[in-house]
Amino acid sequence: MREVREVRGVRAPLLVFAALALLVIAAPGLAPYAPGRQFDGYPYAPPMRPHVIDAAGAWHLPFAHPISLADPIERRYVEDRRARITFASREPWFLLGSDALGRDVLSRVLTGARLSLGLALLSAALALAIGAAIGAVAGYAGGWTDTWLMRIADLALVLPVIYAVLALRGALPLVLTTVQVFTAFVAVFALVGWPSAARGVRGIVVVEGRSGYAEAARALGASPARIIARHLLPATRGFLAVQATMLVPAFIMAEATLSFVGLGFAPPTPSWGVMLTDAASIRTTADTPWLLAPAGAIVLTVLVIHSVAHGRDPLLDS
Amino acid sequence: MARYLRFHILLLAIAAASACHRSAPGAASPAGGPARGGSLTASLRSEPPTFNRFAPTAAQAPVDAVARLTQATLVRVNRLTGDPEPWLAERWTTSADGRTLTFTLRDGVAFSDGVPFTSEDVLFSFRALYDPSVGSVLASGVMVQGKPLQIAAPDARTVVVTLPAPFAPGAALLDNVPIYPKHLLQAALDAHTFAAAWGVTTPPATMAGLGPFVVSEYVPGQRLTLARNPHYWRRDAAGVALPYLDRIVVEFVKGQDAEMLRLEAGSIDLMTQADVAPENISSLRRLRDRGALQIAEPGVSVDPILLWFNLTAAAAAKNAQARPYLQRTEFRQAISYAIDRDAIVNTLYLGAAVPVYGPVTPGNRTWYADSAPKYPHDPARAAALLAGLGLTDRNGDGALEDAAGRPVRFSILTQGNHIRGRTAAMVQEQLRTAGIAVDLVELDPPSLFGRFGSGDYDAICYGLQTSAFDPALNLDFWLSSGSNHVWNPEQKTPATPWERAIDDLMQKQAAAPALAERQRLFAEVQRLFGENLPGIYLVSPKVTIAMSRRVGGAVPVLLDPKILWQADSLYAK
Amino acid sequence: MTTIGFLARRVLAALALVFVATSGALLLAQLAPGDYASQFGRDQAQVAAERHRLGLDLPVAQQYARWLKRSLTLDLGESFQYQRPVTALVAERAWNTALLAATSLAVATLLGIPWGIVTGSRRGVLIRALRGVSLLFLSIPPLISSLTMLAVAARTGWLPVSGMGGVSHLVVPTLALALPIAAILERLQAQSIGDALATPMALSARARGISRRRIVWRHAWRQSLGPILAIYGVIVGTLFSGSFAVEIVTSWPGLGDLMRQALLTRDTYLVAGCAAAGAAFLAAGVLLGDVLHAVVDPRVGGA
Repeated sequence: MREVREVRGVRAPLLVFAALALLVIAAPGLAPYAPGRQFDGYPYAPPMRPHVIDAAGAWHLPFAHPISLADPIERRYVEDRRARITFASREPWFLLGSDALGRDVLSRVLTGARLSLGLALLSAALALAIGAAIGAVAGYAGGWTDTWLMRIADLALVLPVIYAVLALRGALPLVLTTVQVFTAFVAVFALVGWPSAARGVRGIVVVEGRSGYAEAARALGASPARIIARHLLPATRGFLAVQATMLVPAFIMAEATLSFVGLGFAPPTPSWGVMLTDAASIRTTADTPWLLAPAGAIVLTVLVIHSVAHGRDPLLDS
Repeated sequence: MARYLRFHILLLAIAAASACHRSAPGAASPAGGPARGGSLTASLRSEPPTFNRFAPTAAQAPVDAVARLTQATLVRVNRLTGDPEPWLAERWTTSADGRTLTFTLRDGVAFSDGVPFTSEDVLFSFRALYDPSVGSVLASGVMVQGKPLQIAAPDARTVVVTLPAPFAPGAALLDNVPIYPKHLLQAALDAHTFAAAWGVTTPPATMAGLGPFVVSEYVPGQRLTLARNPHYWRRDAAGVALPYLDRIVVEFVKGQDAEMLRLEAGSIDLMTQADVAPENISSLRRLRDRGALQIAEPGVSVDPILLWFNLTAAAAAKNAQARPYLQRTEFRQAISYAIDRDAIVNTLYLGAAVPVYGPVTPGNRTWYADSAPKYPHDPARAAALLAGLGLTDRNGDGALEDAAGRPVRFSILTQGNHIRGRTAAMVQEQLRTAGIAVDLVELDPPSLFGRFGSGDYDAICYGLQTSAFDPALNLDFWLSSGSNHVWNPEQKTPATPWERAIDDLMQKQAAAPALAERQRLFAEVQRLFGENLPGIYLVSPKVTIAMSRRVGGAVPVLLDPKILWQADSLYAK
Repeated sequence: MTTIGFLARRVLAALALVFVATSGALLLAQLAPGDYASQFGRDQAQVAAERHRLGLDLPVAQQYARWLKRSLTLDLGESFQYQRPVTALVAERAWNTALLAATSLAVATLLGIPWGIVTGSRRGVLIRALRGVSLLFLSIPPLISSLTMLAVAARTGWLPVSGMGGVSHLVVPTLALALPIAAILERLQAQSIGDALATPMALSARARGISRRRIVWRHAWRQSLGPILAIYGVIVGTLFSGSFAVEIVTSWPGLGDLMRQALLTRDTYLVAGCAAAGAAFLAAGVLLGDVLHAVVDPRVGGA
């Protein structure tokens, strides 16, 4: 029964995941505008609804009515219902509104997806791989190996990461390329992320290692590596899936924190974390909710990761 | 000793209690005018690390804010007019050569512990100010041509201040020197422990001041409660003893958002660092229309945002080969023309700012010279100036290249997650359309100051705070030897002819007695600055200040502390 | 191994962790660009004087040696910005953070574990909704959730918005901190109970006709706590660093706020002091997790 369910469930999330991956790769192409482009006089423009029927009742390809800023301080826009614009027009069409600099939020979310998701997914994968390996070794070996590895994990957890980043930033040249920043981030995040995974995996491996089948495998002369890989690590899969679900959103936001101490993608390169932190003001959530679009994107991502990691579809099957 | 002290505290308590008692029946004033009693709550974004204004600390703003509430100076600069006015000194005379100021101290003034205030306290305070063992950050600001003032006290009520050279602002200098009680701090100064005296954990009863309030309770990380100084010497026009308020509670609230929330919720009455971000103005106006808040708009800020290039000799040597244009005046002029300041004002500031072209903003009414050069947005002139430097688009990619085909490119350091950083982002995009590539580097302030200190940067986009309207009090910025001469600080001799000219004009300006003459000289300085453009000034916000409707008697101004500068006249409605 | 010997070793290890973490923080601080004195403004003479006064002009090794010598007498130096002993500063803030952390942990545990047991062992529309909520809590950044809660508190006037005071002041920061952790615990617990129900023992019990509910509440939940307790300590340890955003937004005068301030102003000894407190929190958390683990599942030894 269980197997049947997994086969049925695995397909939908994989499809979603594939679609998301495609979207991420194609995103910069899908973005209607360059992510850094600033439309003067369009700060905090609200999302502009697409229409297909104009005021006279005639049908058109999707279009929007142009808007203009009527009251800057109030951020009040008026819509010109007689005119029609598309993405090719001189006036901007903000499907998801604009930010404080008059930049298109949709374009920035789409373009930012590649960096933010790539970074978070890669870092999480690396952190979990390291954590799982170390945790498994510690849990299997026990004794001093176990003690020392866990001490190192604790140490990695409590060191002030920001200082490590500041030190790293000081050692790097003033102007950094995207690749340099990306690499630095992955290294820092992997360093931060592995200890909690290692602790959890160790806990599970200790319990599983004393269960019947691991003992049996040992008695049959299986090598430690084989026992770990075949018998012990599979038991941690569920735990690691949960960890992945936690780490990815955390890393997306951490990128923003670190960018304020100088280790960030060079502006105007968009990233979800920086967009959200820029928007994280109470007046923003109340008056300009569209700036929280990256939060929606993060929630969607977590949902997909969760379903892929569990091989289940969270919406169809709990 | 301890018994004496306890007795003293008892006296204080009685005095305070009787003062309250007396005020209570008369508190209800008919026309809703000032009434004695009540309390107001102010927020402060960072905690004061000490109650000692002379102590060396990087956290100047909160220490100054508390010092202005608990201490007093001989002379106070009226933050509204910019003129010095009698304070602890009831009057003063200036000698014919402008170098000797004779102050007559107010009679019958006592510290909050009841001990009379005399000229000895003034002498003591200046001694502490200049003492090397104290290391006060204030000292360098209370000097003329790098030399300390000479202070003498012929009798208990007279203080004679001799300036090393004629100095037009004269008495205004003394606005920076709070007078501390000699009887409480002499021992610390003698023992070279003055810098550590009056830390935040000092028992309040062992401190005393001449300001309207005294420290009554300090809760680390949370709040500072200030109570009425029962011995405060000022009275209002009707003869009522000031301050009106029984208490000011200062809540430490980190982050502007949290601060705004509390103001809206009514849990604070005013913000000490009082200005409001442009995107918050609309919701505050709605609250004002409902009668919950009052809003004041004192004018254009005197703290503009600017972009400056690294013009030090080291930078010139480094860029001589590849990017000599970074040191050229024409390049800076071109940048200035290429920047669309109106777009920054209309987009980023939602219209609540004005374009500025020099360090003196229209908010500084006495000293702003409208005749200084302006650089309105003019892409054609920018392109022409750049072409004159040999920087043109040689390969048709839309970006400029130098004669060797290298793209025109430089980096701007700025502060992340701040309106300065966002302004820099707009400049970056505008320069991109002009064909100039900018690498924007966002750093936290210490890292930024570190890079600035080591001269390791191309350009910086930041703000420089102005603490006084009078340019003679900002010589540190104008003189080539000044440490605030940010583009090329602390020069031994002026590096350029125009810097030499500005040095001469500023020295003359600072010494000239007549205001009209000083204004004329300073207009000339602003012209020279505008022509040579060592700093490209961008925009200056229009200041908006919000307070709860309970705050009475406030006169919001452009200079910090914008509301609390006349705390003794505030009252609770 | 005796219990006392076990505890003694753990306490020693905890002390060692505190020491190494603190030293590490101190040395890292030296590598970061800019120092406390550099914020004194642009007057380089003044900056140099201040650097000298604070001993920041000494070589790193010498600074460290000085600090080490003093730390033997439990003197962790003086904060540059607060001009007070680091130990006093950290102690007064640690209590506030401990209060907040303990309440949040209790709320998160009492909420998250039963939540996970329910969602991991049952199915249905309601369960799906519950799982969706936990995913949402997990993916909304705490900065945004705490600001939103604060906004609600401010607009409605139900709860105080600032600082410390009575129990009511605890509500907003506790919820902001506890909900994401409750969501993490729910995730782990649901996963774990699902695994426990799939073990041969549980399946055979089911085949023998024992009700699902009885298996869950009598046997499986106890077994399923293992993985959670294994990282319970880590959660406790990171509570205080995770409370950065919450403490700042809600003006809770705790360690997270102090550490952030210290980091941003390069208040070296204070950073080290905060790291020490963080390490102590973590060690205590890990110990707590292990002890609970040993109580629930006696097969496990501690590391």
